[in-house]
Amino acid sequence: MNFRWLRSGRVVCGAALVLVVALSAMLAPLLAPHDPGEQDLLSILLPPAWMANGDPSFPLGTDSLGRCVLSRLLFGARTALAVAFLSALGAGVLGTILAHAAGYVGGCTDWLIGRAVDIWMSFPPVVLALILMVGLGTGTDKVILAIILVDWTRFCRVLRSEVMTVSRRDYVSAARLIGYSHWQTVTREVLPATLPLIITLVSLEMGIAVVVEAILSFVGLGVGANQPAWGQMIADARQNVASSPSGLLLPMLAIFLCVAGFNLLGDGLRRTLDVRQTAIRGA
Amino acid sequence: MLLQAENLSVTAMLGGRPMPVLRDLSFSLAAGKVLGLVGESGAGKSMIGRAIAQDLPMGFRVAGGNLRYRGTELVGVAAQLRLRMLGRDIAFIPQEPMAALNPVLTVWQQMDEHLRRLGERNATLRRKRACDLLEQMGLAEPDSVLARYAHQLSGGMCQRVLIAMAFAGEPRLVIADEPTTALDVTVQARIIGLIGELQARSGTGVLFITHDLRLAAQICDDIMVLYAGRPAEIGEARRLFRAPSHPYTASLHLAAPGMTGPRQALLALPHQMPGLQQIATLPGCRFALRCPVALPECSGREPPPPDRIQTASCWYPERATLIDTGAAIPVPTAADDAAEILRTIGLRKVFRQPGRLFGRGHETVAVAGADIVIRTGEFVGLVGESGSGKSTVARLVAGLEQAESGRILLQGQSDVPRSERRSLVQMVFQDPQSALNPRHQVADIITQAMLVGRPAPRQARMSRALELLRQVGLPPDVAGRTPQQLSGGQRQRVNIARALCIVPKLLVADEIVSGLDVSVQAQLLDLLLELRERLGFAMLFISHDLAVVRYLCARVMVMHRGVIVEEGVTRDMFEAPKHDYTRLLLQSVPEAEVQPSE
Repeated sequence: MNFRWLRSGRVVCGAALVLVVALSAMLAPLLAPHDPGEQDLLSILLPPAWMANGDPSFPLGTDSLGRCVLSRLLFGARTALAVAFLSALGAGVLGTILAHAAGYVGGCTDWLIGRAVDIWMSFPPVVLALILMVGLGTGTDKVILAIILVDWTRFCRVLRSEVMTVSRRDYVSAARLIGYSHWQTVTREVLPATLPLIITLVSLEMGIAVVVEAILSFVGLGVGANQPAWGQMIADARQNVASSPSGLLLPMLAIFLCVAGFNLLGDGLRRTLDVRQTAIRGA
Repeated sequence: MLLQAENLSVTAMLGGRPMPVLRDLSFSLAAGKVLGLVGESGAGKSMIGRAIAQDLPMGFRVAGGNLRYRGTELVGVAAQLRLRMLGRDIAFIPQEPMAALNPVLTVWQQMDEHLRRLGERNATLRRKRACDLLEQMGLAEPDSVLARYAHQLSGGMCQRVLIAMAFAGEPRLVIADEPTTALDVTVQARIIGLIGELQARSGTGVLFITHDLRLAAQICDDIMVLYAGRPAEIGEARRLFRAPSHPYTASLHLAAPGMTGPRQALLALPHQMPGLQQIATLPGCRFALRCPVALPECSGREPPPPDRIQTASCWYPERATLIDTGAAIPVPTAADDAAEILRTIGLRKVFRQPGRLFGRGHETVAVAGADIVIRTGEFVGLVGESGSGKSTVARLVAGLEQAESGRILLQGQSDVPRSERRSLVQMVFQDPQSALNPRHQVADIITQAMLVGRPAPRQARMSRALELLRQVGLPPDVAGRTPQQLSGGQRQRVNIARALCIVPKLLVADEIVSGLDVSVQAQLLDLLLELRERLGFAMLFISHDLAVVRYLCARVMVMHRGVIVEEGVTRDMFEAPKHDYTRLLLQSVPEAEVQPSE
């Protein structure tokens, strides 16, 4: 294994951003000056500490219930990342299995899975997620499940064509002739070729999952009400946007940095892991 | 002089340093003559065509020397002048005719544009001219051809359209870069005939780039043989073919199996042509490493480039005649009482294309009732043009496709279960690039068979891998490499090694030497014969190259449009073909000349 991908600027930038978010999520209890749910009704809607009227004990100010914005951002990162990792992984696994079934087996299986994807994708994804959330109820696990059920199609469609291309190669025929079972053929011959694409898609999907989680939390159909989430913070800060714009801008910035990190990482990995792309550049 | 090169050299930037790609290149082509540039892949022959068009790939540039077209220096010529010359005075016939035509434009749209560029303003006259040109090319219904797109034409028809376009501007110089490599032999013969006819009629000079020395000897006036970016020999075509004065030219000649005379042992040159990196550090003659008659001092100093007096770039041209190919061995045949390994009865395969929503699908009969018998230890050739169904036969026999009807008996049994079948039949694929997974190491690829069922321990696989590599003549250090780090010939050896891992009784080989250079091809053909001696397998050898089949196979079958039209002992059939199609195939093979001794 070489570490060529570490030399890509995109990968390094993206990984650094993701690492910062991940570290703040993991170290949230140590870094946060307050409990994220603790209300201080005497100091509501405080601006960040460096501005006039700022309070040094609330570095990024407080919201309308007097909760510390910094603490809520840090704990919100936990929610965002948990959802991002688990739902991207889940959607990736489900989509990959179905894509390999469709692309390798072909015929009827391919037709069935293909039509399922068509129908699935004709629903607007956010609306589908909202409907699912209404049915499932709120909670982190429900958000993850909803994103998996909505976004597996993304993997399935992109991977299927890749699997088909690889399956037509002679080395796959050769593996069958040599006596490999279908399972062996797919895992040993096809999967290694599609893995770079899967890794890339998972990385991009994490960014998407962060956004979807924020949207669901924003409309109150995301994680539980007492769990801090960036989308919820934006929703809460909406009423006081004129008097305290920082309450709205800071969680938006957090979402931006997190999603940008995942996208840069995904794009960088796509460029460096893809054998064809590196072959073109003669590396 | 129409085209003249003097000490032309081209370099490529590789790893930040300029590496010589072409060097000491001097030749001249007079009007109305055909100059052949012959060389194996990597010799730099296509670079010459691209240097003339000023269309070198990124990082390549002309580093020195002159290239003159009728006295005009072409190196660094102004873009405008170049644009005026190309397509008019200098025309090109490309290697891949299908890829050279624009897939979204009809033939007429492309010819129309070309003729307008040549200065014909009247649309009616352009149409008439296009029809005339295509008729000259032997295309009977020019109007229907003009209305079609490239994918609706065969490769030969595309090439004829391109030749028509190349000669439309009455060029003085035509550069044909392997114009028939992608085509079938029968089509090749017609295309070569056409180029010759047009060239003779209009007095055009042709620069004919090819890898096939015999083809070049047939149609060229002069030939220059290139080796590793440097001319090895230059001279009058027939003289050069009959009495080569460079050992490399002689080797090229001796490495290709012939179509007449007794079966001769092939000369298999060791190793392969040095790559760019290697050339840069090679002190002496570039061919010394592989030369069968090299003397120790050959690798010490580089011989001067060929000229009029000394036609070969060699210190000891008289040694070229000393090359010995060894004794001729008869074609291996099967014993009469040998057990049947394969028998197919009325094998039939139809490919159905599903119809569109309201249209009917159509059917293509790929194989219409093939009966094949192969005995233990017998090499049987299956020849035919592309689309004749021979690859489908291979896939049916190997078990990769299911037959529509008919039966396949392996050792007298039909419906052999998969687990047993694999030790009876294995296949070697045509394209080693696609047949070897680029993500696995060679050792893992060739011992794949040992992972089936309960996987064999790593130790056992490693020792088997080394044994197989030795059998196919590869060094042990190849085991740890990936296919991308190997040359084409080495990849094909790995491909064979994988098929031999379980020692099958029958090997199905689909065009396994077609993409290789002659010297590498000779190595592989001898390897197959040697392996047969040692392991005793039979082989169904599918090829379009009759000479290769003649060298390798005792029996041969000729396939045409899904039907086996003739079958018999190779020698007899090639000497006295019975079927018209077999006769046509045999006539199309380029034979430079009949040796006077015969």
